[in-house]
Parts: sequence; structure tokens; C-alpha cells
Amino acid sequence: MKASQESDGESEAEEPSRARMPTAHDLETNALAHLAGPVRAWFEAMFPNGPTPAQRLAWPPIASGENVLLVAPTGTGKTLAAFLSLIDRLHREHADGTLMPGLRCVYVSPLRSLGYDIERNLSGPLEAIRRRTGDETSPISIAVRTGDTSAYERRKQREEPPHLLITTPESLSLLLSQEAWHEGWRSVRHIVVDEVHALVPNKRGADLAVSLERLSARAARDPQRIGLSATCRPAETVARLLTGPSRTCQIVEAPAPEGAPALELRVEALVKADEGGHRGLMYRRLLRRLAQTFAENRTTVVFANTRAFTEKLTHDLRRGLEEHADEVAAHHSALNAERRRHVEASLKGGRLRAVVTSTSLELGVDIGTADLTVQVGLPGGVSRCLQRVGRSGHRVDAASRGLLLAATPAELAGAVVTANAARAGEVEPLRPISAPLDVVCQQLIGMACGGEWSADEAFDLICRAEPMAGLRRADFDDCLASLAGELSAPAGAYEPEAGWALRWSAPRLWKRQGRFGLQGRRVARWFWSNVGTITSEESVRVFVDGVMIGTLEGAYAERLQAGDRFVLDGRSLEFRRLEGLIVHARASEGESALPRWSSDRQGLTKELALSLARFRECAAGLLAEGPGRLETWLGTTHGLDRDATEVLTQLFEGQERFSEVPRADVLLVEESPLDDGYLYTFHAPLGYSACEALGRATAARLGRRFGRDLTLTVADLGWSLGLSDGARLSAEDLVPVFAAENFEDDVLEGLDRGDLLARRFRHVAATALMVLRNPERGRRKVGGLLWVSQRLYPLVKAACPEHPLLRETRREVLDDVLDTPAARDWLQSGPLLRFRALRALSPFAAAWVVPGEAEPIHFESPAEALKRLHARLLST
Amino acid sequence: MNRKPTSPNCGLLHRDGWYLAPEGAAVHAETRTAVIADVHLGYEWARGAGGDCIPAHSLAETQARLARLLGRVAISRVIVAGDLVESPKPCARTREDVELLTDWLNEREVSLVVLAGNHDPRQTPALAETLDVGGWTIAHGHRPISSPRTITGHHHPKLRAGSVNVPCFLAGPSRIVLPAFSANAAGWNVASGRVPEGWDPRSLRCVASAGDEVLDFGPVAELARKLKGV
Repeated sequence: MKASQESDGESEAEEPSRARMPTAHDLETNALAHLAGPVRAWFEAMFPNGPTPAQRLAWPPIASGENVLLVAPTGTGKTLAAFLSLIDRLHREHADGTLMPGLRCVYVSPLRSLGYDIERNLSGPLEAIRRRTGDETSPISIAVRTGDTSAYERRKQREEPPHLLITTPESLSLLLSQEAWHEGWRSVRHIVVDEVHALVPNKRGADLAVSLERLSARAARDPQRIGLSATCRPAETVARLLTGPSRTCQIVEAPAPEGAPALELRVEALVKADEGGHRGLMYRRLLRRLAQTFAENRTTVVFANTRAFTEKLTHDLRRGLEEHADEVAAHHSALNAERRRHVEASLKGGRLRAVVTSTSLELGVDIGTADLTVQVGLPGGVSRCLQRVGRSGHRVDAASRGLLLAATPAELAGAVVTANAARAGEVEPLRPISAPLDVVCQQLIGMACGGEWSADEAFDLICRAEPMAGLRRADFDDCLASLAGELSAPAGAYEPEAGWALRWSAPRLWKRQGRFGLQGRRVARWFWSNVGTITSEESVRVFVDGVMIGTLEGAYAERLQAGDRFVLDGRSLEFRRLEGLIVHARASEGESALPRWSSDRQGLTKELALSLARFRECAAGLLAEGPGRLETWLGTTHGLDRDATEVLTQLFEGQERFSEVPRADVLLVEESPLDDGYLYTFHAPLGYSACEALGRATAARLGRRFGRDLTLTVADLGWSLGLSDGARLSAEDLVPVFAAENFEDDVLEGLDRGDLLARRFRHVAATALMVLRNPERGRRKVGGLLWVSQRLYPLVKAACPEHPLLRETRREVLDDVLDTPAARDWLQSGPLLRFRALRALSPFAAAWVVPGEAEPIHFESPAEALKRLHARLLST
Repeated sequence: MNRKPTSPNCGLLHRDGWYLAPEGAAVHAETRTAVIADVHLGYEWARGAGGDCIPAHSLAETQARLARLLGRVAISRVIVAGDLVESPKPCARTREDVELLTDWLNEREVSLVVLAGNHDPRQTPALAETLDVGGWTIAHGHRPISSPRTITGHHHPKLRAGSVNVPCFLAGPSRIVLPAFSANAAGWNVASGRVPEGWDPRSLRCVASAGDEVLDFGPVAELARKLKGV
């Protein structure tokens, strides 16, 4: 390791024997000026048109050792922009005979498959350069480290670290926790983080940021950080996640290459005017439309949003293709990793007509030559839409072509505003998260796995990561105390014996005299098999004839009965039995139900929801001037065809006739009958988070008033409340429901009465490693996560109300899920309250609010609810 | 020790002097006996062995529930119809919890009798499999029993409907199935209408407690139909 420090790659300026350093003029005229010898020769032969703008702009600051965030569209040569100067440097050292073994660069990708892609994309050039130099093997070693890496490879990497290590945030965290790797980090000079924008708004990014600080602290000197990002806003936020608050970072925003065709994005309606939106009919039309696009294009990527729908579509498309069935494949994250990689390779190799994917092909894997992307249903946000469209024409000279297919009038309206915003490049701003305590807990355990720490030093190190800059020392100390099992119960907690100290079942750390360390090696084992912050629902593995096909959600598998049919990997399967965490199934024919996945909901971003509200209002205004005005506007301004125009005109006419299209300053409340009560639908032009706050507060106020349970459904432009058993509202009753006084308190009460906090807590507890996703000796049956929500959450609340993980759960919900200030501001602006008692759901309510999932809000004790159930059963 | 009258505070009178108490115990007033099942002490320590770091709670919850029962009815013997502990290989902390529970009962002049369950450790001398009280045979219920009238645990019956999710008894002329005493036990939903082989869903009634009251929801066979639309 010592030797490699001496071969410091960044000191060529001080060594006159090396190639002359290029002047600024050189770089302007020839971005290749700072490349030398075989690397330059290879590049010039390979790319006679010269470097892309991204490469031209990124190479100089990267070569000079600055931290750089390169923001560039896909297909603009980002990989070589990031790596070529490093490859050049290592080749020069090799030529000088100063190249030493040891880690030089760590590349981190949020996607495992992206890592393999990068390895391929670098191995090719390295091999080509080797042929030019005539070396027997390339002097530069590369290795990939992910959860799939074999034990043999892992040992080899530990003993002889490669120059370039390609890994994921999770595997990096795992390596950092191993003492055997500690020395290896000393020689690291560069860190490359790919798709860094995707890590900003989530805990994975916060976790990686701390890992990067740990890596940097072990390096002999602070490594250069290079980030690669798709178009993002604001770039400064992304840059800060990359470097932390204390380092500088140059942001390089590369334009698309000159002459690159603009993005082509079309919106089409599957539904036609005068149709009730019959699902079977829409579905058959969708299949026909997709088959048509497959015939017209060489390769098509279809985004279907949910894994269930991905399965159903793949299955039915394949059936329609008969002997060509193998030319269509499914790709989603519940499929076996090997299967996924096979699909990616087939796609790239041009052996597939089409791939249907949920969201898993959104990020950077090079999928080669797809020339059209189809989005079935809404992508939810502009950046997501652009990222998906960017999967086609993934080459410098080809246009990205996208098609948005809408199956309902509501989807059509959503698709119109999404496409408008995407064409205008209105990417949503990224919202970073602040000091997640569950990530702090996981990192503290990881740090302790590698040895003892001083608490002060650990705190300072963690705070160097941007997401942790606001971490309070008291919160950090509470995390340490909870991990050491030292949090005490408050007076009056439920324990009947006096003088009782709260006991925890398996503390992770010891803590004394300002230091902490691991409570036994078994904790390290637990850490290694549970590292990571990706939340997921409990899943079970599906086997057919002893071969694993993929996974199903545990809650879904539990409800299956022998003989039930479901679709997985585009195949129809018959359920036989559930054994612990394994579903045994066999191949089947005929109609299959869809698996349900609860984690797939895609709401609109706040920006798109607001655009949609404006679009609706604008449409209603034009409609008042005559249907012709509206149709012209939809056709000319929004580029919709005749069918789509008619569908939307009919939607707005229907809403105006049946109820009304809510204007921006109106809070429209619609009452419609339910089987056993009334449903109240509230329309507000605010976006999901503010509607969530309003929904909670109104639920709390009505629940208190009637003293009984109700249901809440939150949507992008409104929410609905279900009241049962004779509870009913009049227009006058509604006024106090929207009072601005005590609004925040009522939002909190609405939260406490529902189950959102409990559901969120289980992910927080899993991330903090309080409850292990993969316990020692394995999980044995379904239901463990449910126990965490239903039992552990109230237990921790009773035993330790200020537990840091309860605080984290509240922070997450209050910061990330709710937008209470926006909701209160709107109430204070005095929207006009309009109430309509209807015979049935209005077109807008049916389209936008009611389809969501209803959450029970409890105002009765379990005993009261049981007594009411008993009374109802007696009366039937 | 404060001796309270045995009725009507015992709960719902089933038959042969057996009451179904709101705490989830079958009480035989005449012999001052309470039968409970599936206590699963040491649940947290068993999870801890798998790597979960959770607060101790099962001893405290068991004591709190027993205290409510003892405050209601005069009891001198608690019979656990199997699964007193969670793990067949209980750790030191679980054994300590069992001792603490035994002492706690003894202080209240209540003896503890434990029958063998599928979770309970094999020990010598072996735990008894069955015990007869008031003409009924008490057992865990994980193995077939050839007795005309049985009180068993093991199945953890629960009533789930809408936002309701509570443990319940199943009670018929020759069979009482106890709810799990532990709140950690995952349940078998009786509202599904399906019962283990050999049981008669027309004669087994679902009985659940709402606070201090015990409510009879009628035969299991009719529950699914009645609950439709709730």
C-alpha cells in the first residue's frame, strides 16, 4: 500500500519528464490534449468525430483533480467522460513503470446491473488499448463487488484489491465494516458515483453519503469525487450530496450533442368518447396498439408502472405472438437477478422485439438500440417521464421517442400535462432528506463492526455527510443509547413492578467513557446479512418444479388457495401450497388473476398536480365559451387527435352537468351515497402532500364529532372520507371542519388515529436494524412485518415514547409525506366552500379521488368497534 | 386474600359450570380454576436470538392480564393448556420470566399448572399432556385427544372483520377452544368459516370480549355470511 502512495497519480505537473501539460488554449481547441499515448490513439481511432460535449467539458476539471458533478443526458458518453482521464493516468504510470497494485478508484452505482454494464463498457476499451500497447494483459485491473459476488471472488478482491472497484452503496457499506479492508482504502484517489440524482431524495443516498465519508477518512488523502447525473434540478443539491457541505464541487452541465434530434413525445387515448371505459375493451385495445408498435419498430420498451401489470401484459402479449412469444420478455425487480440480466443482454443484443418493465429499466442500464418507449399509464413526474423516454435512442445521434397511452379520461388529462411539462423540460426540484436517524443507527453498527470508536469522532464524521449536516448531538446520543439497549422507560410505563429498568432483547453496542463498540461478533453477522436501506414488502419465493421463478408479496401469497392461478415472469402459474416462505406452484393454462403489489402506487408530483388543476380550470373556462373552443385548444395547443379531444371534452361536460369543475379558489365537497353511509369527496388544487394534511385534519374533526371510525382516501387533487351508520353532513356542518385554528394539532391527531405511522415504522425499524429482514437462521413464516406495525410500534411507544426511531418515523411522515404549511396557507386564503349532494360519484370523484386505497381512522376503542359490529350482526 | 363472588363476574356461563372470561380464560368457578393457553413467555428473547432488538414485554403483559382476571374472580389455580413459553429451547431469561410468573402467582396464593404444548421444552419429568376438571379434559390440542369434552388452545382463534381484529373463543357443547393469552400470537381467522377437520362449525360459537363484556357472535358456520358487507 505504501508504494502506491508514492506513485501518486496527480503529481505529473511536478515531473518534467512527463508529457507537457496542456494550456487552456490546447484544451479549447483539442479536448484530447491532456490524453497521451495509447489511450489517445485508441480514442481518436474509435471516435473520429471527437469527444462529445460532456467529455469535452468534463475532462479538464476531472484531470485537474477537482470534485466534479457531470450533468448530462443519457447516451452522451458519460462513462468515458468520467473514466478516461483515470485510465490515461494509470496507463502513463504503467508506461513509466510506477503503476502499483491497489485500489485507485471506487465506482458506486445505485443499480447492480449498471455496475456490470460499466464493467463491460470499460473492459472493451481496456482490451482495445492493450492490443495497441502489446501488453499481455491490461495493466489495469477491474473487479465488481455486489451481493452476487462469489466467496472466491470476495477473497481474491480482499487479498489483491483491483485498481478499479465497481460496487453498490450496500456492498460498499459492507466492505467498510470489515477490518480486513481498512488498509486497502488508503490508496483510493477517486470516487465515482453514478446516477447520483436518484440518491438525493432517499435514505439510500443519506447512507451512501456517510459511507463515502468513512471511505475518505480511511484514504491517505481526501479522494476526488466525480458524480454522474441525468438532468436534475437544482444541480447544487445533487452536488452537495456528492461532496458534503465542506468541499467544493464544480458542476458541469453538458448540453445534448449538436444536431441531436429533439425529444418526440406523443399522447394517445385508448378510450373513446361515449365509452364507459370498459376495462376489458381498453385492455384488448392496448394489446392491439402495443402489437402494432412492435411491428413498426425494431425494439420497444414498455413501462407498465406496476409489477402485476407488467406480468399480465407480458403474458398476454406473448400469447398473441404465438411462435414468436420469446421475443417479448418481462423485467422487474421481483424477478430473479440472473433472469433480469439475461433479459438485459437479449435486449441489447437485438434478440427481443419488446420488453415490458415496471420501473426497473428506468435507470441507466445500457439497453442498446430500443427505438420507442411506450408508457402505459402515467409516469407520475417529469423527470421520471424523461428518464423513461431517454431509454430509447440511447445513442448520440438518435432521437428519443416516447408514446404515452391513456386508458381513462383522467389518465389522458394527466398525460397531457405530463407531456407538456416534459417537452418543456420542467424537471421537478429534488428534495433532500434531513438527518434520518434510522440510517444513523445502521451506520453506527457498521462502524462498530470494524472496531471501537470514540463517540465524538463518530459524530464529527457522520456530520460531514450532507444529509447529516443537521444531525443534533442529542439525537446522535439517543441513537447510541438505543443501540446499547440503554434507553429507559418513562415513569408510569406499563410495567407493573416498581424499580423496573426497560430491557431490550439484543443490544447491538456497548458504550462507556465516550467510546462504543460491537456487542459480540454475532451483531456483525446480523449487520452483514441485513445491510441496506431499501424498503420492501415481505416477499416469498416462488418455485416451479424446484426452480425459483421470482417473488410474490407475502400478504398476497397468504391469501392464495390451492388451485388459484397467478402470473409471474409472463407465465401462468397455479398455486399449490405455501410452505414457510416458499410458494410451490406449477405451470398452468387459462385465465389468471393479477398478483397485487402494494408498493407500486405512483402519484403525481406536486408540480404536475398543480398543472393538472390549472388544466382542468382552463378547460372548464373554454367549455363555457362553447365546446368548439375547448376542442380547438386541445387539438392545436396540446396536439391531441380527434378521439382524445372528444374524450376530454366529454369528461369536462359531464362534470359540469353532474356537479361542477372546481376552480382554483374553490373547495368543492361532493356527497354521494355508500351501501351503509355516505362518502364525502373533497376537491382541492393542492397536490398529494397538502391533501394528505387536509384529509388527516378533516378526518380528526369529523371522527371526534361522530365518535366513530371512518375511512380516509388521499389523492393528488383531493381526498375522500367514508362515514357509516347514519352519520351525515350538511353544508353548514362543513364550515368548522375547515377552520384554520388548531390545524396542525388536528393533522397530528388524524395521523395518530390512522395506521400510516405504524406502517412507516416497520421500514424505519428495519433500516435501523432493530428488526432484521433476514434474521439468524432465516425467517420461517409470513407475517413478521405485520407484527412490527401492529405490536412492536405500540410497544415501543408505550415503553419509550421519545425513542429515536419513533421520532424518525414522525419526521419522515411530517417532512416527506405531509405538506401541512401549504394546506394551512390555502385554508387561510379563504377558498369558497361549495357543497353538492349527488346521487352518485361525480365524474371527477370517480376519476381522481376514489380509486385510491382507503385507510381506517379509529375513533372507537377496539371494544366499542366490536360492540358496534355485534349490534349490527344481531340486527341482520 | 380478597375472595370475590364467582358469578356473574366470571364472564359468560358456557355449560357444566365453565365460564368464558373476558381476559381469555375458561373459568371453573366451583374449583376456583382458570384455564389459559398460549402464553408464549420469552417471545422477545426468542426474537432476540434471531437478532431483533425489542423491548421486554410478555411477562408484564401476562401479569397485567392475570391481575385483571384475579381482580374479577376468586382463583386458586391457573392451568396453562400448553405453550407457556415461546421457545422449545428456552434461554436463561425465559426461565427467569417463568420463575417470576410462578412467584408472582404464589404471592397471590395461586398455583400454576403447566400442560405440554408444542412450543414447550421436553423435560424430565415430562409435563402432563392432559388434566380433567369438572368433567372436561384440558390439553394443548396439537395432538388428537379421545375425550368427550375438551378445552384446548394451540389454534389462536381470532375474529377479523373490517377494522375489528380480536382474539376469540370457540365454544360448543363438547369443545372449548381458548384464544391465545399472548398478544404476539398470530391468529387463525374464524370469520373465514373454515375449521380444522372433525370440528363442527354449526355447533361452535364465536365468543369475543369487548372490555369487561363477553359477546356471543353465533355459530362459526354463519359468520362469513353475516359479515359480508361489513
